[in-house]
Amino acid sequence: MKPMFLREVEENPHPSPHTNLIRVMQDSGAEYPQIWHLFAFRPDATEHLGKFTQEIMRGAASLTPGMRELIAAFTSYHNDCPF
Amino acid sequence: MAYIHLNENLPGIRALFDFRPETAEPLCRLADVLLHQPNSLSRAERELIATYVSSLNDCRYCQTAHGAIAAYQLDGNESIVAQVKRDYTAAPISDKLKSLLIIAGKVQRGGKQVTAEDVENARRFGATDMEIHDTVLIAAAFCMYNRYVDGLGTWAPEDIETYKPRAAVVAEGGYNRIPSDIRNQQATAAR
Repeated sequence: MKPMFLREVEENPHPSPHTNLIRVMQDSGAEYPQIWHLFAFRPDATEHLGKFTQEIMRGAASLTPGMRELIAAFTSYHNDCPF
Repeated sequence: MAYIHLNENLPGIRALFDFRPETAEPLCRLADVLLHQPNSLSRAERELIATYVSSLNDCRYCQTAHGAIAAYQLDGNESIVAQVKRDYTAAPISDKLKSLLIIAGKVQRGGKQVTAEDVENARRFGATDMEIHDTVLIAAAFCMYNRYVDGLGTWAPEDIETYKPRAAVVAEGGYNRIPSDIRNQQATAAR
């Protein structure tokens, strides 16, 4: 995988679920999405992003989770963000 | 008039927080970490980044509200805020902040606009990886907040004076108190 712009972000994960995920993937030599490094670097900020995402994507609402994922995928496609 | 039925007494994002408290909570906590909690970038610098991005997105509520908070953090100096919005390269701010505003401006146009050279440039002016990281996250988060506010057609007062009392409260107390303030208002209104 290409290195990220910020080495410190990549090299200084804090204890978090994403840090464990990264280790598992690195140990097995598999590729993984580098957004995990962002979540592992600054968990005090990104935990709120995670909670926001959980609420808006899976919280009780009349739009089904599948519809909500389609909206997210459609928007990410138009933002040219493959992940 | 907003596009959906909101509490029309509340402007901008406050009406949306009132409408959907479940998503308001993490959005406010994120804003507090990014803009209010201790950081090597000052509160004024971080509010200026948020204000600048909001002005690029032409979001009146966010640029005026956060511009007022930035001015409060700058001992009331509104001219720096106006200069950053008009032409930050000529504003009396550090070269480091200018290099971070270049990155923030590019994030506003699209994440892929940011180049390794922009990041190197910010490092040359002394920006740390944490500061560059937070700049990108502030800029990206405000693109979300701005689109959230304008995508639902919320209203925003035109007179900057009306923003100042709240700006002082948020500048002093941070963003984490907003969800509980809203809950208290809703409880009072329900009685």
